[in-house]
Amino acid sequence: MREHAEFMLEKEKIDALIEDGYEITAVQENLEGAFVQFSNGEKQAHLHIESADARKYFSFLLKKQKEEAAST
Amino acid sequence: MANLETSLAGIRSPNPFWLASAPPTNSGYQVQRAFEAGWGGAVWKTLGDPILNVSSRFAATSFNGQAVAGFNNIELITDRPLEVNLREIEETKIKYPNHAIIASLMVEPNQEKWHEIVKMVEAVGVDGLELNFGCPHGMAERGMGAASGQVPELVKQQTAWVKEVAQTPVIVKLTPNITDITFTAKAAVEGGADAVSMINTINSLAGVDLDSWNTVPNVAGKGAHGGYCGPAVKPIALNMVAECARRPDINVPISGMGGVSSWKEAAEFMLMGASNVQVCTAAMHHGFRIVEDMIDGLNNYLDEKQIGSVAELVGKTVPKYSDWGELDLNYRVVAQIDTETCINCNKCHIACEDTSHQCIDMLKDEQGNDFLQVREDDCVGCNLCSIVCPVDGAIEMVEAPRKTGEEPMTWNERQSLVSMMGVK
Repeated sequence: MREHAEFMLEKEKIDALIEDGYEITAVQENLEGAFVQFSNGEKQAHLHIESADARKYFSFLLKKQKEEAAST
Repeated sequence: MANLETSLAGIRSPNPFWLASAPPTNSGYQVQRAFEAGWGGAVWKTLGDPILNVSSRFAATSFNGQAVAGFNNIELITDRPLEVNLREIEETKIKYPNHAIIASLMVEPNQEKWHEIVKMVEAVGVDGLELNFGCPHGMAERGMGAASGQVPELVKQQTAWVKEVAQTPVIVKLTPNITDITFTAKAAVEGGADAVSMINTINSLAGVDLDSWNTVPNVAGKGAHGGYCGPAVKPIALNMVAECARRPDINVPISGMGGVSSWKEAAEFMLMGASNVQVCTAAMHHGFRIVEDMIDGLNNYLDEKQIGSVAELVGKTVPKYSDWGELDLNYRVVAQIDTETCINCNKCHIACEDTSHQCIDMLKDEQGNDFLQVREDDCVGCNLCSIVCPVDGAIEMVEAPRKTGEEPMTWNERQSLVSMMGVK
């Protein structure tokens, strides 16, 4: 699969969780990519993020999440 | 007409182009010819205990018809008595008082030896001293040159010994044959150096003759490693200058050299922090009069940029040079192919398909004509297609607009964020 298409698939999964009120609560990165844990306070979800662009993308969300937390 | 005068640690010269310590500065005859041609300064071929040389000495590497892409030599320091060199230095300085003459020096790591030679060369009126801690061949086997230049403690100690007696500015010439040149540059500064110069030549073997199986060059069938310089080494030298220039604790002027072949490389070195440049291979390849083109070219460039003095160039690019971790991960450039200019040679497609990210498609238009098109979403902006393209202007790398989620973020910022998240 082309790299951009891989990214878009992973981005969709991330965006779907964010839209459902999930936040990133833990990140583990290793040889297989990034294992990202999300939580909405009640439930947890996990995504295995492999594409480079999606790993950049959740980093942006982390930054945004941190900035929003700091402003509240 | 811009002002090309430069000052390196107080050593003034009418332009930034000095001949490096090497075969072109072996004698008064040569240095005077160089000054007549327009060179602003000359670093006299290294003085020390006169050595014995071998024959043959030089070799060059060619690449795809480009002669002297790189240059290799196994010649040592001066083989002439010190007294002869000093007499010619004195004569030359009297004839050309406004040109800089720097004495390159190399002796054993011994305080008395350094004191003795410094006093002798300063007595004949040199404008400065350059300590040769860089030559990688021959002399290094005797504990001098690169052998002492690879040991920060020896660089510091010998520089300090020279500074105990020197009346003129002391430049320490560094070897590139070391993992991190900032270690030895810092040692030179700690020893009291007034300036550093870089790079000396890189350990090299030019080649092997495929018929005789002798090395190139060889001396009666036997070879030894030499020092490599010329256009091929420029990127290595430029990085070393830049790494020193951006370190606040290496707070002395830099004389840059290594592959300066035209005014363009000179301007690059100066933008990257060098106060002037030294040249050898280009002069050996094309003769001393190449400096005329260098002076004209630099002048024209400064005039075009409306810059009054070459000194204004020094270090302007240094703030733009950083660690990889400080680069923006989300900045993107993408390739765009101008189909009007493209000759459909397909080099870009092949390069991308075989060795990069498979994002240049070979398509046919409605008339059945071939054309190439970049899938911008898959393009990572590696530049390879534009590098291999034989037609100027056919491929342009353009900045891609940022989308949501592509706000500036460095690797260091990202890792800081991720590390705060903990492990699940």
